[in-house]
Amino acid sequence: MLYNKYVKMHTKSTMQYRSNVMMLSFSACLISIGELLSIFVLFKNFKSVGYWGFYETALMFGIITAVYSLTECFARGFDEFPSLIKNGDLDRLMVRPVNMVYQIFGSKIEFSKLLKACLGIVVMIIAIINLNIIWTFTKILVLVMTVICGCLVIWGVMLVGAGISVFTIENLEFINIFTNGAKEIAYFPINIYNKWLSRLFTFIIPVACFNYLPLSYIMGYGSLPSVVYALSPLFGALFLIPCLLLFLWALKRYQSSGT
Amino acid sequence: MTFKGELQYRAKAVSGVITQVFWGLMYIYLYTAFMGGKIIEGFSISQMISYVWIGQAFFVLRFADLPKNCAKEIENGNVCYKFVRPVNLYNQWFAEHFGYKLSSTIIRCIPLSIVAFLLPKGIRLTLATSFTSFALFVIALLLGALITSAISMISVFLTFKTLSAKGTLSIVNTVCGVLGGMYVPLIFMPQGVQNVLNYLPFRFIMDLPARIYIGNIPPLEALKFIAIAVAWLVALIIIGKILINKASKNTVIQGG
Repeated sequence: MLYNKYVKMHTKSTMQYRSNVMMLSFSACLISIGELLSIFVLFKNFKSVGYWGFYETALMFGIITAVYSLTECFARGFDEFPSLIKNGDLDRLMVRPVNMVYQIFGSKIEFSKLLKACLGIVVMIIAIINLNIIWTFTKILVLVMTVICGCLVIWGVMLVGAGISVFTIENLEFINIFTNGAKEIAYFPINIYNKWLSRLFTFIIPVACFNYLPLSYIMGYGSLPSVVYALSPLFGALFLIPCLLLFLWALKRYQSSGT
Repeated sequence: MTFKGELQYRAKAVSGVITQVFWGLMYIYLYTAFMGGKIIEGFSISQMISYVWIGQAFFVLRFADLPKNCAKEIENGNVCYKFVRPVNLYNQWFAEHFGYKLSSTIIRCIPLSIVAFLLPKGIRLTLATSFTSFALFVIALLLGALITSAISMISVFLTFKTLSAKGTLSIVNTVCGVLGGMYVPLIFMPQGVQNVLNYLPFRFIMDLPARIYIGNIPPLEALKFIAIAVAWLVALIIIGKILINKASKNTVIQGG
């Protein structure tokens, strides 16, 4: 398969700069550890927010970290779409008889994010061990669905950013709100923020659908019927459809900038 | 054409301010939610809000960075042309970097502070408690900018060793951020940790100026800390000079 070839190619080129990749992996993990540490400090000082204590939040942090790193690893081409436009590589992709989205997936794989994904999974496991959750089949299913749908949502955000950059060429800074801002928001239960902020991140950009809502189901918190919480990741995944359409629409309007 | 180019930059500036207002609000709501359960002495919610806004307004100062083009020059070897020139490399880089930090901060902080002052009551940036504390705040902030520049110079040395600017900077900035209270305000940390971190150089970058501004640190105590900051600044500059000198002697130039 073509994608296998892409993976092999990127692995080879990454292995050429082994120390550099290790450095980037390590520094990415260090940032996450710093963030986890600050969450720990907040909970150490203030004990809890609402129902949520440190380990519940750590579980959320683990999910978010894993989801973000996995998406950043495999969908890096969309994340760095402006550079594809700027150096004219996009034109090259366009003349090839393969689906564009597929090719952009293959254009870059960032292996240095994988270590961070592992860190996220480790944090998840530690948090789960420390929480008294009675696991059922549906709960496990919801957790798996959460991770998958989370990746789809973040990919959707990247698609929007990439779509906009077709027109602006430069990446505009406020896209940062929807990527890093959403990430930071998602470290904590969304209901502690004020109304417009929590609505924005539940209905418009559904990050709450892969942390707070499904976790409310797993933990048994929340006031809505549990079906709503359990199915929330699927609702979140719907977000991908308009994003993909926007991206494809923007791609049609693309004017080359390279030489 | 020119107009279009300018418009692009203006869009960039506006989008920068929007982004920072968003981050500011996010932290304000977050800390408000946490602080609802417990009162910290000398750090009320309105003080916390001003603390967050100051942090956002002077956001650029928080990060150690390499002087312009420096990362590229180290990675591709062009830095050797710099070595043969008869100027002191450290001074040149330091001045270049400090100037850059200062100008980009000014561009950023003015619109952001105006927006933060105009926000509805309850999430608004409030005026400094007194004229003295405002004056001390400005001095502390300048010292903070100098300390960031000095740390940046040490990062230049580390980049010579690792040859990866991105990795080096992100490690340096994480260390500075965690120890300097930029990830989570120092005042939320356990007392024992605070006692140590209060005297390390990292907190002088952002934590000290912001806390002088909100009146959490009274002027007399602030003077003491400013003296410590000056001492650290001198120490960091000397360390940086020694390291850069060493690096320029032992560098293996990459590429041809």
